[in-house]
Amino acid sequence: MVYPLSQHIGKPAKPIVKKGDPVLVGQRIAEADGFVSAHIACSCSGTVKAVEKRRTLTGAMLDCIVVDNDGQYNRAQGFGEREDVTGISREEILRRVQDAGIVGLGGAGFPTHVKLQPKDPSAIRYVIANGAECEPYLTCNDQLMRTRAEAIIEGLELVLSLFENAEGVIAIEDNKPVAIAAMKQAAEGKKRISVRALKTKYPEGGERTLIKVIAGVDYPAKLLPADVGCIVSNVGSLYAIQRAVVYREPLFSHVFTLSGDAVKNPGNFIVRDGTRFSELLEAAGGLKEGVTLKKALAGGPMMGIAMSSLDVPIMKMNNGLTLMSEDPEEVAERQMTSCLRCGRCSTVCPIGLIPQLMADAATVGDLERYEKKLYGLECVQCGSCTYICPAKRPLMQTFKQTKAEILARKRAEAGGKK
Amino acid sequence: MNTALNISSGPHARDKWTTSYIMHVVILSLLPTVVIGVIANGLHALMIILSSVIAAVLSEFVFDKLCHKKDTWKDGSAVITGLMLALCLSPSVPLYIPILGSMFAILVVKCCFGGLGKNFINPALAARCFLLISFGTAMTRFEVDGVSTATPIADLIGGNTVNITKMFLGFTPGVIGSSALALLVGGLVLWALDIIHGEICFSVLGGFTLFLAIFGGRGFDPRFLAAHICGGGVVMGAFFMATDYATSPVSKLGQFVYGTLIGVLGAIFRLYGGTTDSFSYSVIIGNLFVPLIDMYIIAKPFAYRRTAERKTGQSVPLLKRVPRPVIVLTAITLIAGLALSGVYAMTKDTIDEQKRAANAASYGAVVPEAVNFESSGAIDKAIEDLNGQVYGSDFGRAYINEAYIAKDADGNTVGYAISATSSDGFDGNVSLAVGLNAEGVLNGISFTELNETPGMGMRVDEPAFKDQFAGRSVTKFTLNKAGGSTEDDQIDSVSGASTTSGAVVNAVNAALDFFHSFMKGGN
Repeated sequence: MVYPLSQHIGKPAKPIVKKGDPVLVGQRIAEADGFVSAHIACSCSGTVKAVEKRRTLTGAMLDCIVVDNDGQYNRAQGFGEREDVTGISREEILRRVQDAGIVGLGGAGFPTHVKLQPKDPSAIRYVIANGAECEPYLTCNDQLMRTRAEAIIEGLELVLSLFENAEGVIAIEDNKPVAIAAMKQAAEGKKRISVRALKTKYPEGGERTLIKVIAGVDYPAKLLPADVGCIVSNVGSLYAIQRAVVYREPLFSHVFTLSGDAVKNPGNFIVRDGTRFSELLEAAGGLKEGVTLKKALAGGPMMGIAMSSLDVPIMKMNNGLTLMSEDPEEVAERQMTSCLRCGRCSTVCPIGLIPQLMADAATVGDLERYEKKLYGLECVQCGSCTYICPAKRPLMQTFKQTKAEILARKRAEAGGKK
Repeated sequence: MNTALNISSGPHARDKWTTSYIMHVVILSLLPTVVIGVIANGLHALMIILSSVIAAVLSEFVFDKLCHKKDTWKDGSAVITGLMLALCLSPSVPLYIPILGSMFAILVVKCCFGGLGKNFINPALAARCFLLISFGTAMTRFEVDGVSTATPIADLIGGNTVNITKMFLGFTPGVIGSSALALLVGGLVLWALDIIHGEICFSVLGGFTLFLAIFGGRGFDPRFLAAHICGGGVVMGAFFMATDYATSPVSKLGQFVYGTLIGVLGAIFRLYGGTTDSFSYSVIIGNLFVPLIDMYIIAKPFAYRRTAERKTGQSVPLLKRVPRPVIVLTAITLIAGLALSGVYAMTKDTIDEQKRAANAASYGAVVPEAVNFESSGAIDKAIEDLNGQVYGSDFGRAYINEAYIAKDADGNTVGYAISATSSDGFDGNVSLAVGLNAEGVLNGISFTELNETPGMGMRVDEPAFKDQFAGRSVTKFTLNKAGGSTEDDQIDSVSGASTTSGAVVNAVNAALDFFHSFMKGGN
């Protein structure tokens, strides 16, 4: 089992074990380094084999703790028993969340204890439980809501207890009637909680579009949800919060979707962090017979990261693996033509940008126009424009690059002034 | 799992719609129009369509090869250009016209400006205008059974009534793609499939209809409006020409402005212009405004749109949401329209006065002895009874405008003057004054309105042709296309301009008939 030290946004955690140390399930093996960072718990029992650089899913070599799994899964002391948490203090909730090393399980991996401590907790009007899937192909949120509805509601209530003026809204896409029914049933009689059906439309689960729909507020990219009185939390994270507060259980496993046309038995699995993608695939029955794997994505097809190898560890915020028998990129490259100016890209942009003009500006290097006139930095890189483009232009790729270029320039300018 | 997999930046899924898929759907949507066009106009129309399409695709193919470009000729866009051009042509044009037109559209307008998505005006319309300038006569000749006639739109502009149903179906003289029904079906399918932007096509139709209703002088008369809309040109312009991706604005608001501009311009050209090609020009002018529109009307993204709403979290009343440019543009359109019709109303009397003076001068020319031209109750009643309708049944589309008895200083009748018009000219109306002496012998003719082709039809105004009428005393002339006439009632046609010559003879015959029916004998 391999545990990268950087499984969240912020500073990498500091290892607190060394080679040869015995470890147990749930034992903390790395400690948060600073406020915006998160602890890491071991998901198996065994011996620490090494603390070294290992290949991770982006292809980068990162510091990892490697544990030799003894297969016994002996659990550490001090968690797993249900506790009565009525009247628990705000500080205690936050402490337990932080201790558990919970990060946003929607994909970003932002440390949850940081998110739960905005400057002014009384200004929070909505706590939105995001039950919309991050992407097509993924179904882990749906599965979790169907089977763990009560635990999610309990997690949401715990979060609500931090914000006295907030109401809790569970947002679910309308193509998940079973999950909606389950959540509605679990939320019955809870005054501060309601369930809202969303249109099934990518990227409805994106933070900014979600807040627009639920709270009726839109805000620019430079603000955080808390600035407009909202806290958005993935249902997976709420479940983890419930486990952490009520059972004092650290985060070491989560629901994970295995999907794609190359997979023999697609489905949802509870996966221990640190497992290799390839091990999961093997355990699930491998690929379909006679199918060659052309593309492997950590996540869904839209924003997922293409992996060159499956022999890398699953991290906290990885919520799915999509395996495809065809590389859509290759096909798209063959079909590429010049821009038709058909305007499909602007009709699908959740932010209301004009991708075709942004691409023009980026291509001719007019970064001023890109940023100021076309609001290019507002792009959330959902990939919708690129998906819909009949000319198969590499729009999102261009935008990622241009954004990086503009930010790099700004940094250089700021550095020059000092 | 030993071999490394492809890595790339996301997204890793693509929609099934490709460029050529869209192009093929557009081609399919034009097929009903093609089918009706061929049924209504015969096999030659099919030949025109085929040669236009083949020339367009071949041109792009050759350009690709010469410039070592990726094969763009396969994507179907050249087929659309060829098809649209052919549908805008008269079914009687010789085949070199669609071929030259397609070459111009593809090579000059499309490829030279960067190919697909880069042309600054609609290639098919640009080619149509190119052809109109280069081959004016052939382009505007519409024949039925070998006889040239006016299109319903020309009739409309001339103030005549038309058969709306036949026109809507596409069985009236006109371009190959004049079936408004078929075009409408294709266009609505494209709109339903989200291929064309409803903002454009409906604002074109809306702008056009509204302007006609307000300034057309007939109010919301459904027959009048329907007659104008049911010509294929408006529907073709609204659904297929104006919606061309490369030459329409990006933002919804911009598309609305652009569509309205085209619709209003089209209506202005219809009402105040003399051309039947109102939409070719209005769409092209609209195209030219696109860069300007795109520069000023850029939709603001999420979170930058309605600040009031964002700050308060409250929704803003509908009226305040109407963007200011819409209000301003609507105001400008209205003011411009009012100004135009105001100028028209103010100058109408002056223009009529000058027309009358011109007519009087021409009467003087054909009855030189006259000092005074007098009317009589019977003549006025006869003209009133005609009520601007076509005169008689065997003079083509001829009209009697005015008729006077010419008197000398002593009040003696010295002759008669009759103004007649034939709408069978090559390019609109031919109007003339016919003068007779007191005995009913023709003094001669003088033209008051003649817009024929210089060097061809215009030659009817030369003495060699028009002096043939003088001194004859017959009740009806016949046109001799071969020339070398010997009979008194035969008129030699201007060679190569039998249409215009025929129109003149028809107008003279109508005038003579009127004379013999209502005026002879001095009553």
